[in-house]
Amino acid sequence: MIEYREFLYVAVTLCALAAVMSKNMLTSAISLAAMSVGVALILFDFNAPWAAVFELSVCAGLITVLFISAVSLLRKEEAFFAEDRTRFRLLPLFALIVAIGGWIAGWPFFEALADYARFGARGQSLGSMLWETRRMDLLGQIAILAAGVLVINSVFAVKKAEK
Amino acid sequence: MSASFATAWYFAALLFFIGLYCMAASRNLLRQLIGLEVMSKGSLLAIIASGAMSNLSLAQAVIITMIVIEVVVVAAGLVLLVKTYRVTGGVDVWKLSSLKG
Repeated sequence: MIEYREFLYVAVTLCALAAVMSKNMLTSAISLAAMSVGVALILFDFNAPWAAVFELSVCAGLITVLFISAVSLLRKEEAFFAEDRTRFRLLPLFALIVAIGGWIAGWPFFEALADYARFGARGQSLGSMLWETRRMDLLGQIAILAAGVLVINSVFAVKKAEK
Repeated sequence: MSASFATAWYFAALLFFIGLYCMAASRNLLRQLIGLEVMSKGSLLAIIASGAMSNLSLAQAVIITMIVIEVVVVAAGLVLLVKTYRVTGGVDVWKLSSLKG
């Protein structure tokens, strides 16, 4: 028997597929909202009501409104071009391949990852956690920050050159 | 508990793949933003599953921050989309080649 949470996972995945595959942008936006509702229900089930309320109000509400308003802004003037639909029709096949491959190869990896989550449960402070066990993450963040600085630098350099 | 964690991560990886495929396969900017949304939902699932095993309040704080940033990213992306539409007359990423050397 499928449990409530597994049912929600499957529903969220199906909504994601519908959002990606549907031809009409409005249907995509509404499928995305349905997916957000599913994620919010999962968050409630994980006993995280605050995050669920945020997800429900902001992602299922505000982002959907933003998407629909953007679609309505573009729709009038036939902005959308005919895209090759074959790629999207092939998506369920690829998703199935990834799902089966993940079931065979990824499952032990995810089980092993649980040990790291348990390691995090030992009540260390955030500082010791960051500096002693997550150094690679910190390095990655520093690299991303440096990339952002480079982007800003290059944008301003272009403006100077224009003057 | 561990099985629940692995299930959540399995579906998170699947969602992440679907979003990534959408971003890679589509030429439509709006659909790429939808792919980004799907990817962020996948990572949200991964965070809440990890938080359920360790520190749920910290995970909730991270998720709320993430949702707020997501809204900002989507709003900025849609503004850029409308701007792109006004400049190039479409939402095709292949038309964004005016900076080509």
